[in-house]
Amino acid sequence: MARNVLYPLYQLGNPQLRVFRTNFFIQLVRPGTAQPEDTVQFRIPMEMTRVDLRNYLERIYNVPVAAVRTRVQHGSNRKRDYRNVRMKKPDYKVAYVQLAHGQTFTFPDLFPEKKSPDGSPGDDDIRDQLLEDQRRRQTRDPRRGGVPDWFGL
Amino acid sequence: MCRLLHTTLSRKGLEEFFDDPKNWGEEKVKSGASWTCQQLRNKSNEDLHKLWYVLLKERNMLLTLEQEAKRQRLPMPSPERLEKVIDSMDALDKVVQEREDALRLLQTGQEKARPGAWRRDIFGRIIWHKFKQWPIPWYLNKRYNRKRFFAMPYVERFVRLRLEKHARIEARKKSLEKKKEKFLQEKFPHLSEAQKSSQV
Repeated sequence: MARNVLYPLYQLGNPQLRVFRTNFFIQLVRPGTAQPEDTVQFRIPMEMTRVDLRNYLERIYNVPVAAVRTRVQHGSNRKRDYRNVRMKKPDYKVAYVQLAHGQTFTFPDLFPEKKSPDGSPGDDDIRDQLLEDQRRRQTRDPRRGGVPDWFGL
Repeated sequence: MCRLLHTTLSRKGLEEFFDDPKNWGEEKVKSGASWTCQQLRNKSNEDLHKLWYVLLKERNMLLTLEQEAKRQRLPMPSPERLEKVIDSMDALDKVVQEREDALRLLQTGQEKARPGAWRRDIFGRIIWHKFKQWPIPWYLNKRYNRKRFFAMPYVERFVRLRLEKHARIEARKKSLEKKKEKFLQEKFPHLSEAQKSSQV
């Protein structure tokens, strides 16, 4: 279905309501506490139900769903800005989806550290050149015999 | 937007929530411009329907990436992709709404999809009351009958005060504009439009 849209009234015998172009956007999140292997955690708009989510995943993503459980997470209203006005973090619904047919899912590491072997010697050379240039610019008066500039005359 | 090797639906479902594995850990990911309204108007309804779902999956993928980046306290690679996708989806919605409006106007002559009426509310204001769908007629509807679409005589005074407030605000805006014009005219007489029209 869609959010921010008036659903028409249903009376017995009406045809199945169909919404083209859903307005629901969901995000897969890494679970905070350890979950069973077949459980996937989503953040969902508040207006979406577990039936909606099941249909969404099955039709759009071809993911077989065995069970869906939802809860509403309250966003904190405790923080205050410089004017002592309360700052609200938005509420959101969390859904725990259990996959069918014994499938498992682990949240992947989306930010692996990548080593760039070609770039490192180039960087070092550039750094050495810059340091040498700085040293050459900073040579003091040779007649002072290596005495720093702090001393007068 | 640069795409993967396979163009049709991939076998694994949940992989579509994540980007191409080659892009994981990159700092920047290249992407094209967003769809403009004019480009979308050239497409058929079927194409727009398919494009909506392509954009929906891309938006879900970018939202998961954004959330994961916040979780790991790392910068999200090229966040402008999300803005482009949102702009494309809004443009698509606008184009579809235009088409639906045109169809409705041609077939029925109704300007608005949801029926409504101009009515005076209890405060004396004239508002566009949008109708709601009920299974019972209005004269049997307790909740609807408790709403009053008329204003008692003692409200006329407040209507006059509101009118006066509105008139004062408008007058203030007008006089401010005139003052600014006069000030600019005094400071830059050579840039005035009257001079330009006289010079020809």
